[in-house]
Amino acid sequence: MKRRTLLLSGLGAAGALLVGFGALPPRSRLGLADTLAAHEGEIGINGWIKITADGGVLLAMPRSEMGQGVHTALAQLVAEELDVPLERVRLIPAGFEAIYGNVAGFIGQLPLTPRQTEPGHETTLAKLGAWTIAKLARELGINMTGGSSSVADAWEPLRWAAATARAQLMGAASLRWKLPRAELRLKDGVISHPSGPHAHFGELAREAAHTPPGEVLLKARAQWRLTGQPAPRRDLQAKIDGSARFGIDQRPAGEPLLFAAVRHAPMLGGAPGAVPVDAIRQQPGVLRVVQLPPYAGGHAAIAVVARTSWHAMRAAQQIETDWQPRPAGPLNSEAIRRTLAASARQTADGDAGFSFRSEGDAAKALAGAAKTIEALYEVPYLAHAAMEPLNCTARVHDGRVELWLPTQVPGLARAVAARVAGVAPENVEVHVSYLGGGFGRRLEADFVGQAVRVAMETNGAPVQLLWPREEDTTHDFYRPAGAALMRGGLDAAGRPVALQVGTAGDAISPRWMERVLPALAGPVDMPDKTTSEGAFDHPYAIAAQRIAHAAMHSGVPVGFWRSVGHSHNAFFTESFIDEMAHAAGADPLAFRLGLLDGLPRHAAVLKLAADKADWGQSLPAGRARGLALHESFGSIVAQVLEVSLDANAKPRVHRIVCVIDCGTVVNPGIVAQQMEGGAIFGLTAALYGRIDIRDGVVQQRSFPDYRLLTMAEAPVVETHIVVSENPPGGVGEPGVPPVAPALANALFALTGKRQRRLPLA
Amino acid sequence: MDLKINGRVQPLPEHASDPAMPLLWALRDGLNLTGTKFGCGIGACGACTVHLDGQAVRACVTPLATCEGKAVGTIEALGSAEQPHALQLAWIAQQVPQCGYCQSGMLMAAGALLAKNRQPSDADIDAAITNLCRCGTYPRIRAAIKAAAAQMTPVAGKKARA
Repeated sequence: MKRRTLLLSGLGAAGALLVGFGALPPRSRLGLADTLAAHEGEIGINGWIKITADGGVLLAMPRSEMGQGVHTALAQLVAEELDVPLERVRLIPAGFEAIYGNVAGFIGQLPLTPRQTEPGHETTLAKLGAWTIAKLARELGINMTGGSSSVADAWEPLRWAAATARAQLMGAASLRWKLPRAELRLKDGVISHPSGPHAHFGELAREAAHTPPGEVLLKARAQWRLTGQPAPRRDLQAKIDGSARFGIDQRPAGEPLLFAAVRHAPMLGGAPGAVPVDAIRQQPGVLRVVQLPPYAGGHAAIAVVARTSWHAMRAAQQIETDWQPRPAGPLNSEAIRRTLAASARQTADGDAGFSFRSEGDAAKALAGAAKTIEALYEVPYLAHAAMEPLNCTARVHDGRVELWLPTQVPGLARAVAARVAGVAPENVEVHVSYLGGGFGRRLEADFVGQAVRVAMETNGAPVQLLWPREEDTTHDFYRPAGAALMRGGLDAAGRPVALQVGTAGDAISPRWMERVLPALAGPVDMPDKTTSEGAFDHPYAIAAQRIAHAAMHSGVPVGFWRSVGHSHNAFFTESFIDEMAHAAGADPLAFRLGLLDGLPRHAAVLKLAADKADWGQSLPAGRARGLALHESFGSIVAQVLEVSLDANAKPRVHRIVCVIDCGTVVNPGIVAQQMEGGAIFGLTAALYGRIDIRDGVVQQRSFPDYRLLTMAEAPVVETHIVVSENPPGGVGEPGVPPVAPALANALFALTGKRQRRLPLA
Repeated sequence: MDLKINGRVQPLPEHASDPAMPLLWALRDGLNLTGTKFGCGIGACGACTVHLDGQAVRACVTPLATCEGKAVGTIEALGSAEQPHALQLAWIAQQVPQCGYCQSGMLMAAGALLAKNRQPSDADIDAAITNLCRCGTYPRIRAAIKAAAAQMTPVAGKKARA
């Protein structure tokens, strides 16, 4: 499809309204030949692609590899359009230009429902909203790896960047040989003409950089040879031989690296009292003690600098001081739980909160229903618990800052570093390393500010700042606790006629913006879509429904946690739909299918999962199945889970059948990995995940008490991917939300007892 | 203090030679052998798993004092580019790692298991691999261990396959 056609068809009916906007200078994400820094032997073609002298392709990679396979998937898109083998694409760091900003991730923040966004049938409002947000996001240019958005975001600009480079290279060959471009062939990075002339990219790059691309066409789907193939991941060799460099493995050349460990007050919102600097400095190996104010919404702390992380952590652990409590009073998760439950009820009653979805008169329909059910659901705070504890390596020298950093937000981290060091952002260099897991915790920059502050005290020597596991667990930005008061009404035939939902939980986005994007934080909180997503945007057609959310501000630091609001709202919604099916005396599968009118993709995903899992067929005694369907981050996932109870009556999950429709698939191998990983991440939370806060102190400190699923407990996960030609959706998060409700539904089928509070084990 | 690491005797720098220091930190911060990871510091997660005289141990709770005279094996020497360990080949064939942070420890734990048990059952794998993975690569790790075991143990009358 031609670019212009694509743009116009994307605008649809709203386009007429937006001619004025369209007349503004184009804000292309292509970039220029000199966008990337010049290096000997490399020719820049545009802001994404350089060509090396030997014909290799260099791809500017703005997204962070944290296990989700993004480095491989984005390289695949480029190798496809440039017709080079995947091995010929090497990654180079992207800079901070706006073209690398994540646009799709911000469009994903629009509070829309499935029937408004069904591909090819988007409502005018949905198109207009997406277009406007895209415009703003392109201006802002915030490089963020999150929201399962990397492939969706790169899908257009990266393919266009590669296709444009291809057109320029072909054009250069055509001009050099004075042969018609249409007669030239391109294979494996070599352009040739049947009459004999041939040249690889490296031999044409210098001319190509100045050759107009002419008409640029994307490859037709039928010509794809790499997109849709399970190409082996590019990062795995380094991850099996110990050579992969995570943040904690950075060893900057030059002066010996110093190591710092962080110690916070035990209480959330607390701070160190008088710091016994001399006593700490007398500990073996200790070189220095630095007092840290809170950075980017984090906590005040003490950093101990030593020659090894062990010396630093040991001394930090032994610090005794009069820890200052939270000025506004100690936080208690049990008290917050009661408040949330009360708020959820008020919100369901229409006395509080913001209604994200209202169709018909839910209260009236409920009052007139033949049968009604009501249930309160609750979920706890959760920690991210990435395997690589938080760390940042920094050097501050001669008015310049250099960071070696596992981050999901390099630009925002740079801004924090510049602020702390008192230098211009241009004087901060950020080397993004592999991330030993992110899950949303590395969308924050509290630890970045700390590292820079410590590095300002070490006379130019680089410092690696590390949080002991206990600090990581006790000073997280937690997945908010939440409550949902759900009411459903059925008519005499058992058909659902009313749904009234009130949810309550701490707002996430406004707090995050205050921390790392203060320029966008408003004086008052906007309705927080991120904590209501997965509740208001469920797919079920029920004539009268009102779904509202009360955004709270308990004071507990909260943040984005893999699948965000969906992580708990799927549990509320998909458990309660099961309750309604049971109240109607209906099969949970048939009941759901009956409510998916107009959403054939959702129905197909659910049916396929049921089919692959032998839904409805008998199981050995003591086992049962449960299912759940949930759309998030542009992808639809259904899971059927098989459970039994062990000798201690604890749930044991044996098998999860997972079906995903994520639109066009770039790498099915990575999609399957993410479905397996998402399911197990979700199962850990459903069975064990809980952060309890007593008198301000987080009770769970490390893995023994913040338990993760183990090898012995891990179920078989079977993934089936629906073939689709729609634009790509996300895969990093959508596998997480359905697990908890599928488990609760399976346990109900097994025991007849409905569990409405997580965790379940 | 000297340590025998990956077949070579290596002197430890002074700042990383306290007998009470866990082996993990002598490797990482003393010798810059960063393939062995820090996850928890209390032996709970296994990211720091190495071999001590062929046994899988958690380096974060193994003081240097107990390593004297023993052979330390780390991920850097599990195989080589020319001669990868059967587990490393299986790890690639099964596309096991995601973030990869726990994988050094997983491979070392699996290596110690296969060294003494060439046909591990599911129960053997469950018992030996108590390392934690946050990305959920467990099912692929199980498959890779079995594939490597099959590759290392030719079945009578049948040629081994990776």
